[in-house]
Amino acid sequence: MADLPLSGIRVLDFTWAWAGPFCTMQLAHLGAEVIRVETTARPACVTRLIPPFADDVPGPNRAGYFNQYNQGKRAITLNLTKPEAIEIAHALVKHVDLVVDNYAAGVMDKLGLGYDKLRGIKPDIIMASLSGYGQTGPYKGFVGYGPPASAAAGMFFGTGYEGGDPGEIGVSYPDPNAGIFGAFAIMAALAHRALTGEGQYIDQSQLETALVLMPEGLLQYDLAQREPERHGNHDVVMAPHNCYKAAGDDEKWVSIAIGTEAEWHSLCGAIGQPQLAADPRFKTAALRKQNEAALDQIITAWTSPRDRWDSTRILQGASVAAFPSMGNKDLAEDPHLAERGYLVQLDHPEVGKRIHAGIPWKMSGTPCAVRKPAPLRGADTEEVLKSLLGFTLDRIEQLRKAEVLI
Amino acid sequence: MANNTTSPKSPFSAIKVVECGEGIPAAFGAKMLADLGAEVIKVEPPGGDLARRRGPYPGDQADPEKSGIFIYLNTNKRGVVADLTRPEGRELLAKLLADADVLIHNVPPPERAAQGLDSAALCAAHPKLIVTSISIFGDTGPYANWRGYDLTVANAGGWAYLSPGASPYPDQPPLKCFGSQGDFQGGVHAAMVTLAAYMHRLKTGKGQAIDVSEQECIAAMLEMNLMHWTYAKRETSRLGSRLLGPWFIADCADGKIFALAVEEEQWKRLVELMGNPEWASEDLFKDRIARGQNQDALKALMGEWLSQWKVQDLYREAQKRRIPFAPINTMRDLYESEHLAARDFFVPIDQPGVGTVHLPGMPSKYGRTPWSLRRPAPRLGEHSEEVFCGERGVSRERLSELRKAGVA
Repeated sequence: MADLPLSGIRVLDFTWAWAGPFCTMQLAHLGAEVIRVETTARPACVTRLIPPFADDVPGPNRAGYFNQYNQGKRAITLNLTKPEAIEIAHALVKHVDLVVDNYAAGVMDKLGLGYDKLRGIKPDIIMASLSGYGQTGPYKGFVGYGPPASAAAGMFFGTGYEGGDPGEIGVSYPDPNAGIFGAFAIMAALAHRALTGEGQYIDQSQLETALVLMPEGLLQYDLAQREPERHGNHDVVMAPHNCYKAAGDDEKWVSIAIGTEAEWHSLCGAIGQPQLAADPRFKTAALRKQNEAALDQIITAWTSPRDRWDSTRILQGASVAAFPSMGNKDLAEDPHLAERGYLVQLDHPEVGKRIHAGIPWKMSGTPCAVRKPAPLRGADTEEVLKSLLGFTLDRIEQLRKAEVLI
Repeated sequence: MANNTTSPKSPFSAIKVVECGEGIPAAFGAKMLADLGAEVIKVEPPGGDLARRRGPYPGDQADPEKSGIFIYLNTNKRGVVADLTRPEGRELLAKLLADADVLIHNVPPPERAAQGLDSAALCAAHPKLIVTSISIFGDTGPYANWRGYDLTVANAGGWAYLSPGASPYPDQPPLKCFGSQGDFQGGVHAAMVTLAAYMHRLKTGKGQAIDVSEQECIAAMLEMNLMHWTYAKRETSRLGSRLLGPWFIADCADGKIFALAVEEEQWKRLVELMGNPEWASEDLFKDRIARGQNQDALKALMGEWLSQWKVQDLYREAQKRRIPFAPINTMRDLYESEHLAARDFFVPIDQPGVGTVHLPGMPSKYGRTPWSLRRPAPRLGEHSEEVFCGERGVSRERLSELRKAGVA
């Protein structure tokens, strides 16, 4: 195997839903061996159970949500309601560098898998708990789902159409965001261990990882005692700055943003209206911002009869930031993403070759790749217990019958 | 200065980072390293970073030395000025890179060669250097040289197309989330991968180049939407209705709450909390899918009950029953949150000329790695003399010439 940044790092992954698996997927991308712990004893792993399923045929190994965010991992089944399963987890901890969970505060402790217990088993263990509200504070036990986390973090309050009510934001963004911040914190802990030999515990609150992305709103309140205004796609400084209607159905739009005088002049020329550059309403950035409604009308008149890609090519040809609003089909068929190797299609035993989102970065010296598709449920139980713990097949069979390995 | 400064010496304090490019992506990535103890030198163009011109400002009075977003992104850093479009400016950069471990920047690909920031050339000249570049579309591929801002990323990555979601208004466009999320994701992904490259360097002594695409970062964060197409040939968009319910923003007596109870167990507990109204057992609401399809009726029926609650009371009562409601928090709500206060989330820093600013703090709490805000954000060019003359042998006369020529 190529020498990747996390080659030789083994992760025991107790995460479920989206935030945790998104975190550990980053580690798998970077070369770590990630062993997911799941159980069929209760429907904990919701992403195996919700649509879309491949060709609309339901099945725990056919769910796109699971298969996207668990690429590159191994999977074992372990019924953590059984004491023997906890013993097996403890035995596995001796062989891993890192344990990750995203239960509500206190759950891992109750299971006998809290940091103090695990540190007793392996003193330099790193453990990261990615919970909704953190391990301390008055809301520590609160349930943290992604969509409500957007509400709690002020994202709904700040998002919405001009003059309208607070809006939702389309995806459960605080989930993958917690995942990527978790991956950063874990990298810091791994580097810390490499430099000092010390392990540590990381307490991460999904709410707080979302709030570090809200400085424009928070600091406007702190510095100017004003709440953020909702202004659709408009910017506080730049204009024009919007999604404009393109030719075609209700889903066809093209985004255009102007940040400099040079771009403004280019835009005027590219849409065949060079006289606009001298129009007193639009002479400075401040005036363009003030008169952005008039600008939006002028630009819409140009974009609305045109195909969104034609507009994009004309404007990008003039060095203007323009791009279609991309849907799922657009992304899957995008030649740029394909050429960069971002779209990944590995052969999965049950769903075959399907396009997934791959790795959003490239490293020149340690070429990362999605090395295998998401695991079938329990696919690696035998192999992991045999190779790491020396279990015999007989013993594994007994544990299955005793509902420990389900 | 801050309440997190009791730190022992950080193992990251030996990492020397040079940051250039304007705005959020590289500045946020470098901030994440700086907050762990890395020594970051921020290189600004002579006119100052564009974040200085975006505010928010104290009392709404624009001042490039008082921008809230600039302060947030650039505490813990020293700041120098160098015009990288001129050879003398690039000489200054070379002096910084001579002893740097990491260069992180978000200069767009078509401008890099002219600023001495071509990744391959830098790696060849500095074999131990980690060169992390963040761009809208990545360094390669047909769109590599295309232009973009955060709005571009929201659309190119497929997020805006889905937002706000379940919208009944086809004439309203795809909607960007508040703030600069594509730029922030570029930054945090870059910081994470930079640490991975640093781990590799600890083992091998070798640097490398990293190429982070903001479009790709966002396209990986679309929940199951990409797979709706690749698994089941369904296109998803901002329009339509919720698949599951209840799932809506509702009015309470003193504000708004997000009412979500999409698991059957959550719904049962919610019905109990509502006092078991008769309508809840009607066929229209028999399961979470029916409750999604008939959400308008459900919303109307729940509305009266919701409107009698104060937001915080309902939030607590719902959460006690493991029903994941959350308030539509305002910024003020967040600054006044007892929970965030108990976790010391906001960090006061003393920014010269501004006074005390309460910055969003630690994204993750480390048991051992120290996290701290140790110094305020730099004034434009504040550390040019200290860094170039004091530490890297540039004479004061030379710096003064470069300043007169508008390079430094």
